[in-house]
Amino acid sequence: MNRLGLRARVTAAFAVGAALLAAAMALFSYDLTRRSLLEERERTAVRAAFFDAAVVRSGLDTDAPDIAAVLGSLDTGSARRPLLHRDGRWYARSAEIRGSSVPEELRRTVSSGTPAVQRVRADGQPALLVGVPLSATVSYYEITSMREVEETFQLVALTLTAVAIMVAGAGAALGWYATRHSLRPLTAVADAAERIAAGDLETRLDPATDPDLTRFSTSFNRMVEQLARHLERDRRFAADVSHELRSPLQTLAAAGSVLQRRREHHDERTAVAAGLVADEINRFQRLVDDLIELARAEQPTNREPVDVAALAGEVCHRHGLPADLVRVVPPGAHWQVDRRRVGQILHNLVENAVRYGGGPVAIRLGCAGDGTGVIEVDDDGPGVPVPDREVIFDRFVRGRAAHDRARTDGTGLGLALVAEHAAAHGGRAMVTDRPEGGARFRVELPGCAG
Amino acid sequence: MTAVLVIEDDDRIRLALLLALEEEGYTAYGAASAEEGLRRHQQTPADNILVDLMLPGLDGFECIRQLRRDDDVPIVVVSARDDTHDIVAALEAGADDYLVKPVAIKELTARLRALRRRARAGTAVSVQVFGDLEVSAEAGEVRLDGRPVAVTRTEFRLLCELALHAGKVLSRQQLLQRVWGYDTGDERLVDVHVGRLRQKIERDPTNPRHLVTLRGLGYKLQR
Repeated sequence: MNRLGLRARVTAAFAVGAALLAAAMALFSYDLTRRSLLEERERTAVRAAFFDAAVVRSGLDTDAPDIAAVLGSLDTGSARRPLLHRDGRWYARSAEIRGSSVPEELRRTVSSGTPAVQRVRADGQPALLVGVPLSATVSYYEITSMREVEETFQLVALTLTAVAIMVAGAGAALGWYATRHSLRPLTAVADAAERIAAGDLETRLDPATDPDLTRFSTSFNRMVEQLARHLERDRRFAADVSHELRSPLQTLAAAGSVLQRRREHHDERTAVAAGLVADEINRFQRLVDDLIELARAEQPTNREPVDVAALAGEVCHRHGLPADLVRVVPPGAHWQVDRRRVGQILHNLVENAVRYGGGPVAIRLGCAGDGTGVIEVDDDGPGVPVPDREVIFDRFVRGRAAHDRARTDGTGLGLALVAEHAAAHGGRAMVTDRPEGGARFRVELPGCAG
Repeated sequence: MTAVLVIEDDDRIRLALLLALEEEGYTAYGAASAEEGLRRHQQTPADNILVDLMLPGLDGFECIRQLRRDDDVPIVVVSARDDTHDIVAALEAGADDYLVKPVAIKELTARLRALRRRARAGTAVSVQVFGDLEVSAEAGEVRLDGRPVAVTRTEFRLLCELALHAGKVLSRQQLLQRVWGYDTGDERLVDVHVGRLRQKIERDPTNPRHLVTLRGLGYKLQR
């Protein structure tokens, strides 16, 4: 699976391409240089050997030649070393060079009267051996060291390798630079998408910026328009549904209250039925409220400075709970959140604790160093088993504690709303164990300063 | 007996509300349109008026505006619409409270009782002066530069509450509790009423000098 980004891949392709090209060029130039240099050097060596051979021949042209003196008189410098084979004996200027340096095959060729050239290694160094027949029994050899040439080759190879590496690097840099330019429009798209996700549905791309991207910008803009239309349709649908459901509910609520008031006038069975009707109207009403709220949960938040501690105090008051349940650590934190949604988060968490957890034992409001506001509601109930901890925030899912109580009258949407409101703030909701037993519901909301 | 006029075009809702209100001890009578409601209120002035927003002919907003023209009767909107836009528009037209259907009858009667309560006598120093602004709790009068200003009962109670704690910040929730009798409620109620009050007692309502906002905290009346 390829996990590299587009930019890394393009850059790598540029680098590899440049490296291949540079390597091919380097190999080619190296080969060419090497060949012409070697040829040149060999030609020079052969010419010098023939010249020295002529000197030796004339030096030997006496009756009793002093071979050592003849060899010593040659002006060979340090690179060339002479060797003479005369009547089956070898003569050299110094002991370091012996007849064994000359391969048998070459010696035979030269002895037969043909000059010959061969590349050999002498004392571990590359060298050129030139053999010149002087007479039937005398042959002149000259070993020319090629060390300098080899050193030159090494230098050339090193230089070419360095150049190839630099070219590959330059290729990578070019790829990086080029992709930055070609990816710039994508950055604009990413910014636009983020703004849209944040609720700004007026965001559009400018199709005139780049002629090559016109089609892309146009389809992007069309997608955003579709999205906005869908959202608007959903919003209107939610509004219509809410209106259509609320009107008959008003009749039911009013008529139900009359039935309740007149309970003592009813016979027992009618009174029970009237009680059921009134209770179910209440539940139905809460369900409709929660459903409408849920349908709107995805709308953008309306952040403002909110005194969350006071809000939590009100929620406690509404549930008949002591206000000292609320603990604020550290005090004086400033919350920049959606008041209505946070109020509902607190209300639903407290209600959940009252309904299923035997009532809240602590409500903690904290502010983490990274600007995350934390709301924790602890209860002393049975807790939430691990497998239920994710699904309990889904719609119409009730935890085991809720099922145990047959007469539950929750809507099954309270915690789903908590999760939706947290998500609308860019935060999250979760449940863990309270160390002393019971459940600990925790909501994290970015938008807090200590 | 408190008389309540219910202006509601849905026959079933109107009938059910009238039944329920009568059961709670109110004298209740209904109107199926804004025009009929205005006429009935003229013939027999009600102590409280409940108005729906979507009415045939004259709509609820216009109905509230016409009722408000020369009357401070407490008006409560009972509507299925819960758009912020509608709520603010209805309150700005002059409604004292806004309830979203379905409203429990207990809740509705609690709201009506709260609105009927007059400013508690003796809670405010009889006359308080704030520069060019004069609030007289007992006479139920507000004067700007010596000229009387017409305010509704709710606006007056809001002003008295702020005057009682002059120089101190009152949060929206505190005001909701003390003026409207809500344990918890919609804070837009306070904001819109403060806005309406500013139109009447401030020389420059966009740059208030008496009734100032403290962002994130609430409102205060300055001496």
